[in-house]
Amino acid sequence: MEHKVILKLERVTKIYEMGEVKVEALKETSLDVYAGEILVILGPSGSGKSTLLNIMGGMDLPTSGNVFFENQDISSGSETVLTHYRRNDAGFVFQFYNLITDLTARENIELAANLVAKPLPIDEVLKEMAMYERKEHFPSQMSGGEQQRISIARAVVKNPRIMFCDEPTGALDYQTGKLILELLKKINKERGCTIVLITHNAAIGGMGDRVARMRSGEIVEITENASPLSPDKIEW
Amino acid sequence: MGILSKKIVRYILRNLGQFFAAVTVVMCGIVIYVAMSSSYSNLKQAKDDFYSKNNFADYYFHCVKAPDSVVGQIANVPGVRSVTGRIQKDLSIIKKNEERATARIISYIIPDDNELNKINIIDGRLFAEKIGGSIPEVVLDPRYYTANHLKFGDEVSVIIDAKEKYLIVVGAAIGPEFIYAMENSSDILPDPEKFGIFILEKRQAQQLLNMTGEINQLLVQYEAGAEQNITIEAIKEVLRPYGLLASFPRSDQLSNAVIDGELKELSSVATVLPLIFLVIAAAVQFIILRRMINNQRSQIGLMRGLGYHGYEIIIHYIYYALTIAFTGVAVGVVLGIPSSNYFSKIYNTYFNLPGNLQGLAIRPIILGLSLCLLISLLSALTAARGIAGILPSSSMRPEPPKAGDKSWLERHIKSLDKISVGWKMTIRNMFRNKVRTLITQLVVIFAVGLLVCSFFLNDAADFMMRKTFYESQNYDMTIRFDTMQPERELLNIGRIDGVQNVEAFMEIPVRIYYQGRYEDDVLIAYDTNLSMKKLENTKGEQIRIPAEGILLNQRTKDKLGVAVGETVEVETLLSYGQTNWSKTFIFGSVNQMIGAGSYIDLRQANQIMKEQDLVSGAMLKVDEDKISHVETEINKMLEVSSILQQRKEVANWEQLLQTLDISTGIISLFGILLGLAIVYNSSVMNMSDRRREIGYMRAIGFSVNEISRLLFRENIIYLIFGTILGLPFGRQLVAAYMKSVENDLYTLPVIIYPRTYVLATVGGIIFVLIAHYLSTKDIRKMDLVEVLKIPE
Repeated sequence: MEHKVILKLERVTKIYEMGEVKVEALKETSLDVYAGEILVILGPSGSGKSTLLNIMGGMDLPTSGNVFFENQDISSGSETVLTHYRRNDAGFVFQFYNLITDLTARENIELAANLVAKPLPIDEVLKEMAMYERKEHFPSQMSGGEQQRISIARAVVKNPRIMFCDEPTGALDYQTGKLILELLKKINKERGCTIVLITHNAAIGGMGDRVARMRSGEIVEITENASPLSPDKIEW
Repeated sequence: MGILSKKIVRYILRNLGQFFAAVTVVMCGIVIYVAMSSSYSNLKQAKDDFYSKNNFADYYFHCVKAPDSVVGQIANVPGVRSVTGRIQKDLSIIKKNEERATARIISYIIPDDNELNKINIIDGRLFAEKIGGSIPEVVLDPRYYTANHLKFGDEVSVIIDAKEKYLIVVGAAIGPEFIYAMENSSDILPDPEKFGIFILEKRQAQQLLNMTGEINQLLVQYEAGAEQNITIEAIKEVLRPYGLLASFPRSDQLSNAVIDGELKELSSVATVLPLIFLVIAAAVQFIILRRMINNQRSQIGLMRGLGYHGYEIIIHYIYYALTIAFTGVAVGVVLGIPSSNYFSKIYNTYFNLPGNLQGLAIRPIILGLSLCLLISLLSALTAARGIAGILPSSSMRPEPPKAGDKSWLERHIKSLDKISVGWKMTIRNMFRNKVRTLITQLVVIFAVGLLVCSFFLNDAADFMMRKTFYESQNYDMTIRFDTMQPERELLNIGRIDGVQNVEAFMEIPVRIYYQGRYEDDVLIAYDTNLSMKKLENTKGEQIRIPAEGILLNQRTKDKLGVAVGETVEVETLLSYGQTNWSKTFIFGSVNQMIGAGSYIDLRQANQIMKEQDLVSGAMLKVDEDKISHVETEINKMLEVSSILQQRKEVANWEQLLQTLDISTGIISLFGILLGLAIVYNSSVMNMSDRRREIGYMRAIGFSVNEISRLLFRENIIYLIFGTILGLPFGRQLVAAYMKSVENDLYTLPVIIYPRTYVLATVGGIIFVLIAHYLSTKDIRKMDLVEVLKIPE
């Protein structure tokens, strides 16, 4: 089957210079992300998966190589191009939620919604995340799972083409983690939003359309799941 | 260097901007303190030394004429330590270019060892004891000497009894009674081209003025512990038969009053302003340290865990505050010394004092340093007081993230729900950091207030100039006669080509008595149809000269405690003729910004003098292109003692305004620096506290400029409230300042032009913009990945 490539990485390397020591976090990595898929990037700590996600998400620039989002080079280093990409095309879900403590649940979503010309209706998104009743709560008044749902809502409200999730279940208990994964799956299914999810939890790989395995700054294997699992079937 | 000291040094190096912001506030306080206190102590020391070395008199008595022998009589009055009898008389000078000026002739006794108000020759020599030639020798005050380009051996001529007499200039000298040489208290500024002190040997002066064996002024110094009032009354009794005129203490002596006024002003600025700066510095250090300690809780826990005592850790934080204090004081002293020299240079141009007034006053530096160290210590102790009580285990845990909540404002004003998310973030953040917000806001208000004060100086001087020279006067020239003249003399002046109009006046020095109290004043008499001068009451309304009664100067009225309609007794104090007594009533009061002066109708003044149709001078309206011609013609009249041109007075004022520009510049610079330091400090803390938020916002697509604008909202609030409250606060500050420096010589109105408010607002905008730019310029460099890694 012919896949449409939404994000393309060509021979991307990332070298961090720490004083006199150079650490090669990514080694000539090439990868195609297909439109509408869930791509799970698996790897142990220090394998370079976060570096890869940051470069794909336009939060960091590669030392060499190119990154194209729908044929536009986003690795040129232009702040305007990167900001435009993060603002209009990408959504982020972080391990530690990164909600703004001074804003209520609804206001955190509104902050993101204000960035785009046609955001989704905030209340609908809140309902979709089953957080409508909690919309006036501040982050400090919510559980980790609730905060992560707001974090997802905040990414979704911009109606992004692609969402990057960095260990979205890493700080959550088993049950809550599964609920979050279900939400992500639903967003992918119903909205057709491409999802790139990084995790060290091999079990989560089961829900991806494809799974890329990383080790020491390289993608060592990409496998396709003929029939991805529903998150409720995943056990860890 | 100990490990803990290294830690502090590295913290300072990593947060240099914040460190310098705090140092700037301390520095501003110290610069002002060192500059003003040094100027104050230099000026006061120079004055006190001069007074004491030159036997400055304690009391002055004027009489019409008394024999030399009266000196011996007064010397025997109990309480009198020394007495000097001399002549003091104002004469007209005819300058080489035929212009007029006034010479205050003072006779001088040589040898002067036991005399009062001794002089110091600063150029040339003292008059020879035995004068060989027929032309008397004269020593001049240095300002007149320099302004008129005179040198040893030059001739100057004065008019005595309508005859021109010559004097030979032999030198210039300074004396304690003319440190500030101004003709009289109604002058605004000294004008050395128009007024000079002429010192003649006593017998020469007596001969020249046809007063052989006579004097008209006595200077007295008290014995220690003398019953001064009894002594004064006894002296007055001795002098009464000789036509006792004005008598006044040293504090009313014009030159002394001006210097004391200046010293008072300096001391009030030198005390209040630095103190405010130091309090602000303490507050800034407190908020920096409190935040630093909160952020370093785990480090503190670790140190305690390793076995450091609580007090050792507290001392470690105190080092930070003390480093700020030391650096601030060091920079402040380095900048304060040239500022002090600058002020001393200004004083040198106005005050004739021995030495150059410069010199480092050690006392204010030591005091400033001690004060700074003390407040730094106190603020650090207050900020660090909780440390010792924290257990190692609890401080190893980071302070829990602050719970977000709606601000007090939002809970009380429901409509605030509708404001944008950005504004909500701003308001909640400000309310969450209440102490920091409050201190920053108060300092911004103060900084804007200070800007109002700095620009006000120009407004006051400009207002006074406008009021005095343009609005309340409509003449081009003032002439004065050396003695009263019949009014018909003015007809000759009116006939000079170019003179459009002439209006007469009479000035009579008087003492006004009311219910046992008295005040010296000058009655200025005009015709009731006066058109060349406007008088105003305290409400600023124009008032006319009444046909009967006095329009009393507000200051004199307040001192006497007399009300409108009440009767006062007036004693004339002219240095010639007889003393006249007369009763009249208070018609109203008049607002006089500078000098003394109460107003009366010309005919009534003649009645008080028991004369008819006499005048002592006139105001002239002259064709603009004929002013020089008119002056030349009037110069030919020997009875004219002085001619003042309004346009020259205006030029003098404009010169003064230029020196004010520098003061304005310095004070506004301090205002801007203060505002800049506090807003920068607050913004830097804000930036650093919200690094994660900022990183996150950038990650979801906020541009650098959008985030910068979001952070700027907080500064906009500081600016808005700083302006709304700072402008009226500035006005109050100005009023308090004027109140503290008010004296008998002038009352400056609290007039603030709209321009000043605009300039102060612009100054506020400037410091907020610069502070915002400096504190947020690094957003672009922020490493998003790094910032977002750390868990809350």
